[in-house]
Amino acid sequence: MMRLPKFDFHEPATLDEALQMMGEFGVRAKLIAGGTDLMVNMKHQLMSPEQVVSISRMDELKGLDTSNGMVRIGACFTVADLAESEEVGKKLGALRTGAKALGSPLIRNLATIGGNIGTARPAADLPPSLMAYGAKVVLKKRSGERAVSLNNFFKGPGLTELQPDEILTEIQIPTPPPHAGAGYINLGIRMAQDCNLVNVASFIAMDGPDGVITSARIVMGCVGPIHLRAPSAEKCLIGEKPSESLFAKAGDAATGDCTPIDDFRGAAAYKKAMTGVLTKRTLGIAHKEAVS
Amino acid sequence: MKKKLISLTINDKAYEVAVEPNQTLVDLLRYDLGLTGTKKGCELGDCGSCTVIMDGKPVNSCLVLAMQANGRHVTTIEGVETDEGLHPIQKSFVEKGAIQCGFCSSGMILSGKALLERNPNPDEADIRKAISGNLCRCTGYQKIVEAIKELGT
Ligand SMILES: Cc1cc2nc3c(=O)[nH]c(=O)nc-3n(C[C@H](O)[C@H](O)[C@H](O)COP(=O)(O)OP(=O)(O)OC[C@H]3O[C@@H](n4cnc5c(N)ncnc54)[C@H](O)[C@@H]3O)c2cc1C
Ligand code: FES
Ligand code: FES
Repeated sequence: MMRLPKFDFHEPATLDEALQMMGEFGVRAKLIAGGTDLMVNMKHQLMSPEQVVSISRMDELKGLDTSNGMVRIGACFTVADLAESEEVGKKLGALRTGAKALGSPLIRNLATIGGNIGTARPAADLPPSLMAYGAKVVLKKRSGERAVSLNNFFKGPGLTELQPDEILTEIQIPTPPPHAGAGYINLGIRMAQDCNLVNVASFIAMDGPDGVITSARIVMGCVGPIHLRAPSAEKCLIGEKPSESLFAKAGDAATGDCTPIDDFRGAAAYKKAMTGVLTKRTLGIAHKEAVS
Repeated sequence: MKKKLISLTINDKAYEVAVEPNQTLVDLLRYDLGLTGTKKGCELGDCGSCTVIMDGKPVNSCLVLAMQANGRHVTTIEGVETDEGLHPIQKSFVEKGAIQCGFCSSGMILSGKALLERNPNPDEADIRKAISGNLCRCTGYQKIVEAIKELGT
């Protein structure tokens, strides 16, 4: 039998109360949302907090608001709800693709978007498209709040910008402008319940239906200690007209932007090659969406 | 580490129980309440043998703390049977030969039941997706898929 470490459990009724608790407990406490990461880490004795503070049932952390040119998603919005949301699908198709690919239906019913970010795994399914869309996260503590670009949020495997007394409350994603699109593909061993081998999200915006690419963001997972941007691939897209051959060129450039390692999931050389393929294909999806 | 009293509804019956903070829902069900129809395989969310329906949604009860189930409605395999005997989905599993050793069956049946409540006429792809968090080491899945498909409208 797998034993959990000993801890005290708290379920504050409001966010204010939770912020108060995190302020008091600091590093001795861990937040639990869906628990699909934390429970596994605690069972493996990789984490043994003295206090566990549950936030999964707070309505204030479960909102979805798409007004004023921004999509705001509460940290405790579940992955199942993301996968099912037509609204998310229409505005942020690549994010929904990632949500549908995460774990199993059983896991998705528990797992939250905030937890997928908070856990800071370089293989996680939601950060690539969120970063490609230019998302920010709102970090709150008793004394105030700050918004941090997801680009600058991850510091290493399991490490983030979050302070021990902070709670990630909301994810803010600018609604993509017209003639913009994004794509996400995750490559794994099986269709469900696996850890990604490589995952890539691409976003492009053009200055018109037949125009040139004015901005591009490509984010690669599993090929570095954090999700990596592909600067040279992005650079070769700017000012160019979209085409198969341009996307192939960007794919080649992306293989130089990533730093995968050999591990039991796959060889570094294979992951590098697949990063190129997925970059090309996700750019194709992004372009199709941009012109539709 | 203090025990706390929680109240929850399991299979339409109200319970009030004292639980440890580090006790999981599956352990509460099996060891404190004797509801051993819920199985425990991996304890890590991988196998689905511990599937229960919580507030209408199938979840891995090995990843839920008992205290997180406070105030919730839980359905376990023991709650699926009706006054008229086995539930149609249970009958279908038996008739189609979808049960061999039976270790996965509680979870499979609950995942299948939750699917049919959302989508009364699922196709094969829908069914395979819905049971993708439930592992079976015996049947090869085909008969389980057929048993669920049989109940489509
Ligand atoms: C069988 C299985 C399969 C899985 N498959 C996938 C997969 O395919 N793809 C994938 O990406 N992940 C997968 N996961 C990992 C996990 O399900 C996801 O990362 C999930 O989104 C985590 O969300 P949660 O709410 O359950 O997180 P929790 O476990 O509740 O929290 C995770 C971490 O984030 C912190 N945290 C949570 N919420 C906040 C917040 N609001 N503010 C600050 N910190 C917070 C917690 O303290 C904890 O350290 C899988 C897990 C399992 C068990
Ligand atoms: S015992 Fe819960 S998923 Fe395996
Ligand atoms: S019948 Fe034996 S595991 Fe499914």
